[in-house]
Amino acid sequence: MSSEIGVMALNRKRLAAMTAAVVMMSATGSTAQADEGLGTAEDPVTVRIIANEAFANTWQTTLVPEFNKVYPHIEVVFDGVPYPDMLAKMMLDATSPDPEYDAYLIDDPWVPQMAEVGALIDLKGEDIAAITDDGYDWDDFSAAPLAAGEWQGVQYAVPVRSNVLLRFYNRTLYEQAGLDEPTPEQTWDEFFADAEALVRDTDGDGQDDVWAISTYFVRDSLTPTIWQSILNANGGNLLDEEGKPAFANETGAVSLETHKRLLDYAPPGGLGHGFSESLQAFRQGLVANLFNWGSIYKATAVDSASTTLTPDEVGIQVLPVGTENAGTHRGIWIAGISSKTDRQEASWAFLQWLTSREGEAINAALVGSFPARLSTLESEPAEPWLAPVYETLKHAYAVAGEGGMWRIRSPRSDAAQQILADEVARGLAGQVEAEEALGIAAEKVERALR
Amino acid sequence: MTATDMTGLAGRGERRRGRLKDLITRWSFMAPSIVLMILLLAYPIFYTIEISLTRFDIATFSAGAWVGLDNYREVMADYRFWDSLWVTLIYLVIALPLQVALGFGIAFLINAEWAGRGFIRALFIIPMVVAPVVAGGIWRMMLDPLWGIVNHWLGFIGIGPLDWFGDPALAMATIIIIDTWRWTPFIVLIATAALLALPKDVFEAAKIDGANWWSTLWSVAIPLLVPVIAATFVIRWLGAVKMFDIVLASTYGGPGKATNVINLFIYEEAFRSLRFAESAAMAVIVLVLTMVLTALFLRGTRALEDRY
Repeated sequence: MSSEIGVMALNRKRLAAMTAAVVMMSATGSTAQADEGLGTAEDPVTVRIIANEAFANTWQTTLVPEFNKVYPHIEVVFDGVPYPDMLAKMMLDATSPDPEYDAYLIDDPWVPQMAEVGALIDLKGEDIAAITDDGYDWDDFSAAPLAAGEWQGVQYAVPVRSNVLLRFYNRTLYEQAGLDEPTPEQTWDEFFADAEALVRDTDGDGQDDVWAISTYFVRDSLTPTIWQSILNANGGNLLDEEGKPAFANETGAVSLETHKRLLDYAPPGGLGHGFSESLQAFRQGLVANLFNWGSIYKATAVDSASTTLTPDEVGIQVLPVGTENAGTHRGIWIAGISSKTDRQEASWAFLQWLTSREGEAINAALVGSFPARLSTLESEPAEPWLAPVYETLKHAYAVAGEGGMWRIRSPRSDAAQQILADEVARGLAGQVEAEEALGIAAEKVERALR
Repeated sequence: MTATDMTGLAGRGERRRGRLKDLITRWSFMAPSIVLMILLLAYPIFYTIEISLTRFDIATFSAGAWVGLDNYREVMADYRFWDSLWVTLIYLVIALPLQVALGFGIAFLINAEWAGRGFIRALFIIPMVVAPVVAGGIWRMMLDPLWGIVNHWLGFIGIGPLDWFGDPALAMATIIIIDTWRWTPFIVLIATAALLALPKDVFEAAKIDGANWWSTLWSVAIPLLVPVIAATFVIRWLGAVKMFDIVLASTYGGPGKATNVINLFIYEEAFRSLRFAESAAMAVIVLVLTMVLTALFLRGTRALEDRY
């Protein structure tokens, strides 16, 4: 019912907007192509969206049919692209005179790049406001995820798949090691004390076969997010208020040493572990802790096809507490509309539906995506396993917001992130001391951001 | 002017027209290839050079303001560029001789007539047709210290467990093993063809003279094969210097920067950091280095051909 009201409200606004547009075009003699609207049964409109291949297909087959129950004349087509190639492909498309895509699914640090080339439309601007449902509540979004879509005071994108770095732990392994379950208040010192006990030889063959932790250690652009979450928890920051590197100091080095120390309690080959390897080790019950993106919870604790664990076995919380606060790292997938599309209304209809309370609930229940709306997080979850996840998310959003726990916000953030990836990898591999790695990184990041 | 002169002039004119027609005909046959070459080869190279001399304009995704050699200076001052070149050199110095030696050695061993030789030769083609990314992924699984079958097997003979992706030396060894697995069969095929083409009478003469297996190999086969070995080395060099995909799929350039070959570094700088101008400068430097070294190798190949 609320969807129907939304559609009606949208249609009234559309009518007003279209009338205004027709008057304007008549007055100016403009020949610009009109927006294709929401389509009709005879003439449906197609919205093309570039997205991460990791979830593009699932969204196509699961979410789009749900959307089409409300908007049957809008065909949404997702093009999945491997994550490492996404930014370059999106930039190339966005800067062409006639972009192929009507909307872009953007990773957390990419909004400044996309905004700088004028690729995205202002979602709170007049054009979009005219076609926005009255019930669409911007104030209902948690501040941290919503801020991911903002750049220099303009809201270019909305959170469609919120994510944060979280700590997963295996309750069975903690119990077998004779340890109490960790709490969100656990400090790094307490974590390492537990880690000693969690590395065990369970079958008595003289070799350890269960370990304390796996996470990102491999040379990868996301590996510095672990170090950064420790840095932020210790009160450090990547940049100072003038936008200059502020991590090449004792806090930064201690944080990198902490990240490196995790390797002492990781499985053999831990230095080669990234997203997939650490996830696999945890799902198979080989490691007691996993620091990874929260969105993997469903596939790690719920889907029996992909995990040996159950929701009862898997605890979820923020990363251990440093000298200042707990740790996490924001990683929101946000969606924006191409500034050059003539399918603006249909594109916004889809994004609006997807980020509405109703759409968020469907996205969470069917796909496991995390919501960004406070009302969704406060509501009764559609599935029981979502309850502890929502509690943790609320905590993590607050922690991320307080500590500024996200990647560098700059049109050149990817260059900076790659530099951090290189130097953190060298530090973790022991090829250079932490101080030297961070000193070089700071110098290069400063030049990259100029 | 006499009639003979006029006939001579007319003849010369006709010959000139004939030559011109012939020339036009020849060029008309070559023209499509030349146009294709310019479009597919020359244009990207010149465009890369242009980008390397400008500040890349991200808003138009094209070459922007002219900055001269600034990008080259920046690249030359970046230790990561030199590190990547050094890593690439280590890989090439170990992998290329190893693959050529193994390829010719295996070819020599399987050159004898025996049942099933054709089947074994066919098996050798398999690694070559496997996509490099797939090969890298499969080997990554096989060598994984936690789940991999290789460490499991090595355990039976008391070796390991080896940290193939965590130890810098072993990570480089991993890359060389995968690359050697992929490309040695290619060299075996070339070497087998070369061995079959060797003059049999020379070997018969060596046999009559009482040469043993080793003497035949060292004093007869290898000298005859030297030009082929040199040519194979150059062909393989041109392929190996492009090494990128196997590293991307197996070690991601790590641990640290232990396997960060130059092409992976250029790719990351361009498509992950969006530093297209600096990447173009690096690509041009690598292109020049490759051309110089290839010219030297070709010169060496010709010298060996003349000598043997």
